[in-house]
Amino acid sequence: MSGLKLRGVRKSYGAVEVIKGVDLDIAPGEFVVFVGPSGCGKSTLLRMIAGLEEITAGDLFIGDTRMNEVDPSRRGIAMVFQSYALYPHMTVRENMGFALRFAKKPKDEIARLVDEAARILELEPLLDRRPKDLSGGQRQRVAIGRAIVRHPDVFLFDEPLSNLDAELRVHMRIEVARLHKELATTIIYVTHDQVEAMTLADKIVVMRAGVVEQTGSPLALYDDPDNLFVAGFIGSPKMNFLAGIVTGDTVRLPEFGDQIIPLGRLAKPPAQGADVTVGIRPESFKRGGEAVLDLTIEIVEHLGNESFAYARQAGGQLLTLASDDGRALQPGQRIAARFDAGQVMLFDKAGKRMR
Amino acid sequence: MAKSRIGRAEQLNGWLFIAPALVLLGIFMIYPILWSLWMSFQTGRGMNYSFGGFANIIRLTEDPVFIRALTNTGIFLVVQVPIMIVLALLFAAALNNPNLRFRGFFRTAIFLPCVTSLVAYSILFKSMFASDGVINDLAMVLRLMDAPISWLGDPFWARVVIILAITWRWTGYNMIFYLAAMQNIDKSIYEAARIDGVPAWARFVYITLPMLKPVILFTTVISTIGTLQLFDEVNNITLGGPSDSTLTLSLYIYNLTFKFMPSFGYAATVSYVIVLLVAVLSYLQFLVARDRKA
Repeated sequence: MSGLKLRGVRKSYGAVEVIKGVDLDIAPGEFVVFVGPSGCGKSTLLRMIAGLEEITAGDLFIGDTRMNEVDPSRRGIAMVFQSYALYPHMTVRENMGFALRFAKKPKDEIARLVDEAARILELEPLLDRRPKDLSGGQRQRVAIGRAIVRHPDVFLFDEPLSNLDAELRVHMRIEVARLHKELATTIIYVTHDQVEAMTLADKIVVMRAGVVEQTGSPLALYDDPDNLFVAGFIGSPKMNFLAGIVTGDTVRLPEFGDQIIPLGRLAKPPAQGADVTVGIRPESFKRGGEAVLDLTIEIVEHLGNESFAYARQAGGQLLTLASDDGRALQPGQRIAARFDAGQVMLFDKAGKRMR
Repeated sequence: MAKSRIGRAEQLNGWLFIAPALVLLGIFMIYPILWSLWMSFQTGRGMNYSFGGFANIIRLTEDPVFIRALTNTGIFLVVQVPIMIVLALLFAAALNNPNLRFRGFFRTAIFLPCVTSLVAYSILFKSMFASDGVINDLAMVLRLMDAPISWLGDPFWARVVIILAITWRWTGYNMIFYLAAMQNIDKSIYEAARIDGVPAWARFVYITLPMLKPVILFTTVISTIGTLQLFDEVNNITLGGPSDSTLTLSLYIYNLTFKFMPSFGYAATVSYVIVLLVAVLSYLQFLVARDRKA
């Protein structure tokens, strides 16, 4: 088990810089998730840790060893790919044991390691099948098994569940969480799915355009995002963003018929007349509060346990409201949506959080 | 069954659609095949022939020239096809490496020979390997040999020239199949193997080759058939000489039919030997390549 340290890590292809200086500490045994929209560089960063992409500048340490120029096979890592990357002509057993042959391990040792991994992943009945005879979830388990047999210090997962259907994805997500508990190994996991990130991670690294936007525990990112991007990316459904203008100790909302909401308590109150973005999570409307917005409901989605209402005011922008008593809501209905002003987040013009 | 009127009309339409093709196939393929089978039991010269039963088959076993042609064809097959397949695989592997510079140029250069005309390149090879040809001159200038080699006058070297020629002409053709197949292999399979510490040679032997097996089988069968029918090169470079050392079955058939006093029946019999060889060898290759574990 090793931790990782990234210091000023950069990657460019010619003149195009795709990773723009990443500093990151990963503790031994930690489950870290890189999350971000496609093209943000999260997979590239993972591949640089794996040694599949060269590091243009900066230092990568796994444990205490600088690994920049070390061959992928000597970094103490194992990787699980989105496409599974199984050897199609080999059986499950051969797939898992293949690489061990080149690590000069004796045959009975290989058999023992494969059997052990098969037991952990419940693959025993499938050991003599070929990948083409397996379902997507089974293939992914074999790919994980192939990583396990090497007893790596660090597991790397590159969007491992993206090719699975929704139901299987939830199931495999729990499998991965269980695996982390059982093996207690450092895991770096790349996904664009924020639900996967929230449910699996000890620490989430939110990336955008080659830059780390924020690092922290799932709830820290949810409760206390540093900027507009993180606030919008973490949480489902998305946080509502309303344009506002600071007026006294209130915020005026021009797109909502100049309604006024109270300004929460801030350490550094913004200047009068400043343009701000007001962030309200849909679920803030569940709990009620002193602040009120008058809205007209357009669409209601019933999920059973909760309902989402999409509402706006006088041609303004559409807001998402989560509601416990949403079954009573009707399209066209006018409501006074209440929320706690203390839960409202303010962002300045550059998108930085105002605290 | 199609007893209804609509069903019958559809059947008729179907037959009408394929009728032109069927007629052409019948006249130009099926009829000649059957006719030549019948011919292979005829003996005699020119237009004077009569039914001879198995006489032609017996003649095969006693005909030293046929045995010679069969042996030569076998030599070309056993020596040239493996060399070409291995060479094509190595070229494909090299060209598939993204770190290789000028890949497009090399790919074109290796593939280009197989768009040249068979006769044109044969004549070129003949002139290059003539006693006073470029090859001898160059080798002498570079002091690679003391005396010029009589490439086309020596039975051994004549075979070497033929093998060189067809290898030059057909390697690129096979390589394209391998390259296409290699580019279809998921790159992350190799990355997974690299991370897991599988050395480069093992990635080629245990991953690339098994995944190319269907293509290798296909090209081997195609090359085998091509070599069994080898004609243009030998006819244009060596004319089967010296002293029949490069005579192939196809060239022998041609000679029997058009060069000597025509012996259509016997020529047809030799043709069926090629058919039989193609069938047997292809079957054997499929048998060898069959998935034992499946």
